[in-house]
Amino acid sequence: MLSGFFRIIKFSFQEIVRNMSLSIMTVLILILMLLSINTLMVVKVLTDESIIAVKDQIDVSIYFNPEATPDEIQEIRGFVSAFPEVEKETFLTSDEVFNNFKKNYADNQDVLSSLDELGQNPLGPTLIIKTRDPKDYEKIIKNLSLPEYENIIEAKTFADTQTAIDKIHSITTNVQKFTYFLTILFAIIAFIIIFNTIRVAIYTQRAEIGIKRLVGATSWFIRGPYLIESFIFSIISVVITYFLVDFLLKFLDPYISVVFNKNDLLSNYLSQNWLMVVGIEFGVVFLLTIVSSGLAMRKYLRT
Amino acid sequence: MITFKSVTKKYTADSMGLNGIDLHIESGEFVSIVGQSGTGKTTMIKLLIAEEKVTSGIIEIGGWDITRLSDSDIPLLRRQIGVIFQDFKLLPKKTVAENVSFALEVAGEKRLRIKQVVPRVLDIVGLSHKVDRYPHQLSGGEQQRVAMARSLVHRPKILLADEPTGNLDSINTQEIIDILKKINEFGTTILLVTHNREVVNQLKRRVVTLHDGKIISDEDKGKYRL
Repeated sequence: MLSGFFRIIKFSFQEIVRNMSLSIMTVLILILMLLSINTLMVVKVLTDESIIAVKDQIDVSIYFNPEATPDEIQEIRGFVSAFPEVEKETFLTSDEVFNNFKKNYADNQDVLSSLDELGQNPLGPTLIIKTRDPKDYEKIIKNLSLPEYENIIEAKTFADTQTAIDKIHSITTNVQKFTYFLTILFAIIAFIIIFNTIRVAIYTQRAEIGIKRLVGATSWFIRGPYLIESFIFSIISVVITYFLVDFLLKFLDPYISVVFNKNDLLSNYLSQNWLMVVGIEFGVVFLLTIVSSGLAMRKYLRT
Repeated sequence: MITFKSVTKKYTADSMGLNGIDLHIESGEFVSIVGQSGTGKTTMIKLLIAEEKVTSGIIEIGGWDITRLSDSDIPLLRRQIGVIFQDFKLLPKKTVAENVSFALEVAGEKRLRIKQVVPRVLDIVGLSHKVDRYPHQLSGGEQQRVAMARSLVHRPKILLADEPTGNLDSINTQEIIDILKKINEFGTTILLVTHNREVVNQLKRRVVTLHDGKIISDEDKGKYRL
């Protein structure tokens, strides 16, 4: 039993070495297929990062009436912070709002001179709310639309940002759908490529399979070396792809950092998730190769 | 040793391989099966190694009914029989020694025994000096001798030879026939399928003649009569 297993391993290494050109071709095709899957991974990371960046730009501001008392403001702040959906709330005093306003309009002399003419700060305090998900803003705003708060809150920016939030929500949903579609499409292409590569490899050896059968080899004695070969090809292709991708991501990262203002975004993703990436890729390639070789070999193994 | 009982093999409704064959071959016999192309000679070989299944009838080898073998028993049957073919059927990516060893390796033979037996068998067929060559580096006659060594290495009681000299010149043909005669002298039953009139006439052994899937003559010391 054990000697049979060692013989199968010996035969598989012999087959790899003695069919070197076929082995190299198979590994190359597996690498190309894995590179395309990794491209998908890069697209997903960049898409997720874009969504996070866009979502991060959105917040809702609650403008308090300048006459609102500190107690009233504190009550609303307490009310808002009680929501689990709220990630962060930033309170700006009237003076801070006034200074920010002046800073924003520093180039606009008309606005500044109008403010000077008023002689006092017409702006009330502001509460800037950030939720974990843009869709939660609606809930917060709805809950703040109570009659007792009408005189305290002067305005909410939600109405202005509602359209943007809806758009982002729709874009992110569609992007996610598109990514799923791409994943399925790539999976189908990967299966077809691997299946045909293995089928061609087995086809070229169909005569040998027939001879082995005639000499009295069992199906498993014939299948065994192909299984081990699949295992070895999977390991080699995944390892080579990993290093290739790592190199390519390091090359891409400086360009990406200009857009997202994050250093080594892609390389960090790969190094943080390498076990998952390598594990999934190996699992998929190995499973596909053994299923393909099993299917391709079936007809040659019939007595 | 080998018994065919009313064996019929139909490939399609209008293509008959064998048609109700009855044949008994004793242990140690050397039987030539002759006949024109398409008369069922190779079908007999294919049925004996379970490469094809009978349509009806029974084939027994040493009392073992091989017509109802399960898929897992087929390799066991093939390890009991030696087979050589016209096109040699050697594994092209294995050396001479590896091709011969392979027949023992599939049967789970121990490494030490393989190391002892293989050189001996290659010596018998006169190829001990070409153990590391690949089949494409050998002549046709040498390739056939490798195939013979492979078919003999597990000491089968039966050797089936399907047109073993079909691709060989007269010198190599004679060499192969001499080896077959020697193997037969050691007690191995030989079933030789051939078209070669000279070989059959020279052997002066039992000759079974097939025509349209039927046995039309069976002579103890026969000649090629077609």
